[in-house]
Amino acid sequence: MAVSTIYSTQALNSTHFLTSSPSSSSSKQVFFYRRHQSQTNRRFNTIITCAAQQQTVVIGLAADSGCGKSTFMRRLTSVFGGAAEPPKGGNPDSNTLISDMTSVICLDDYHSLDRTGRKEKGVTALDPRANDFDLMYEQVKALKSGIAVEKPIYNHVTGLLDAPELIQPPKILVIEGLHPMFDERVRDLLDFSIYLDISNEVKFAWKIQRDMAERGHSLESIKASIEARKPDFDAFIDPQKQYADAVIEVLPTQLIPDDNEGKVLRVRLIMKEGVKYFSPVYLFDEGSTISWIPCGRKLTCSYPGIKFDYAPDSYFDHEVSVVEMDGQFDRLDELIYVESHLSNLSTKFYGEVTQQMLKHADFPGSNNGTGLFQTIVGLKIRDLYEQLIANKATAPAEAAKA
Amino acid sequence: MTTIAATGLNVATPRAFVQPVVARLSAPVRLNYPWKFSSMKRMVMSVKATSEGGISDKVEKSIQEAKETCADDPVSGECVAAWDEVEELSAAASHARDKKKAGGSDPLEEYCSDNPETDECRTYDN
Repeated sequence: MAVSTIYSTQALNSTHFLTSSPSSSSSKQVFFYRRHQSQTNRRFNTIITCAAQQQTVVIGLAADSGCGKSTFMRRLTSVFGGAAEPPKGGNPDSNTLISDMTSVICLDDYHSLDRTGRKEKGVTALDPRANDFDLMYEQVKALKSGIAVEKPIYNHVTGLLDAPELIQPPKILVIEGLHPMFDERVRDLLDFSIYLDISNEVKFAWKIQRDMAERGHSLESIKASIEARKPDFDAFIDPQKQYADAVIEVLPTQLIPDDNEGKVLRVRLIMKEGVKYFSPVYLFDEGSTISWIPCGRKLTCSYPGIKFDYAPDSYFDHEVSVVEMDGQFDRLDELIYVESHLSNLSTKFYGEVTQQMLKHADFPGSNNGTGLFQTIVGLKIRDLYEQLIANKATAPAEAAKA
Repeated sequence: MTTIAATGLNVATPRAFVQPVVARLSAPVRLNYPWKFSSMKRMVMSVKATSEGGISDKVEKSIQEAKETCADDPVSGECVAAWDEVEELSAAASHARDKKKAGGSDPLEEYCSDNPETDECRTYDN
């Protein structure tokens, strides 16, 4: 990656200056010049940084549809600042989201069969036969090397493959969908991968919430839909969780006996040990087993309260650390209290997690572990990005000529 | 009355006859404002957000189809694919609903997010 920086000060009373990145031949040349504004005594402390980046950080996010990926995306892009929006002026049904730092690509765009094609062949979207992994690999590889690609668009409304859109390589590329870790070549391109594992009961409850307002749906049809997709899901999507660096597992609560409403959730953040640039979050003492109920004398919680657990564990033959939260946040001070006791959060200032959660208090999961762990994973990704960039930065170039 | 049925847009064309008194008084105006002199009931401007209505219809239709396909053979690939389609359309419908709820609230906000440099949208933070 080439980073060129120009510092202009009063001393350089130049009219133009030119710089180019002194790196390998495959880097892009960047030229820019600025006309000096004469007759002012202002100090020009302008720092113009150009990053002709070779390396894009690629994050993979896997989950079944209807499992909170878009909420996760919004939280993630918010951690980096700015809101992610669909590309302006393009196809209104585009699935891509673009913000200053991040671009989010939906892997449904790499379907090789459109809806009619899949119906003819009797194949679901979960089946690898419905996806073009070669194209996925090529384009993610190109974006990672800093080359723009023409990515196809899968229109979810019509079920057809629309004309491609141009995607510029961003600083952080997030690929979200059903199969980010399915293909081995794509898996190797990922710098960090996350899997959202929603248990069957919670999935059922969420889909009911989502679909009951829809005309034509009934409890039976929702159930039938989940059941019909289950074999393909278990065969193709679920095995990806063994490759993920972080798994967010959502289960029904254990605090309320016989709860079937699914409002209170038990969320586990399973973090793989030994991943480069990723240090797992821990509670009190790294590597020990802790069970913590913050509610008591210093903090009053309402029913059912909050319970935290932290323990090292083994997950698919990997060493992992698991932080678990069961219950709900009712108040701001519960959140800040919990945040102050968690360690290794990669926050830049005290209360950053709370601030991020409050910023999006209207998002689903903002009062339980899903929002909390999604925010924490977002901060971890930011930390990973900064470490990666710091490692790859070359010496800044200076003004070439006067 | 002409109806443009395809988009669900009903626009009433002026009726052939108008009350004679009015016609005498405001003949030129009448042509420009047909609704002023016809019954308001005829003025049915229902501009449906076709995308939203369309998706809901699609969801409903796909559920019907899935039920039919699976009635024959519950474990066939076609049945599974049909329910998968239902799932996909339900997800799209839910996204469309969320988008509708989120956006379209304040036209000024929308305009300013696209054009922050215009005079109406300038903010002074310092």
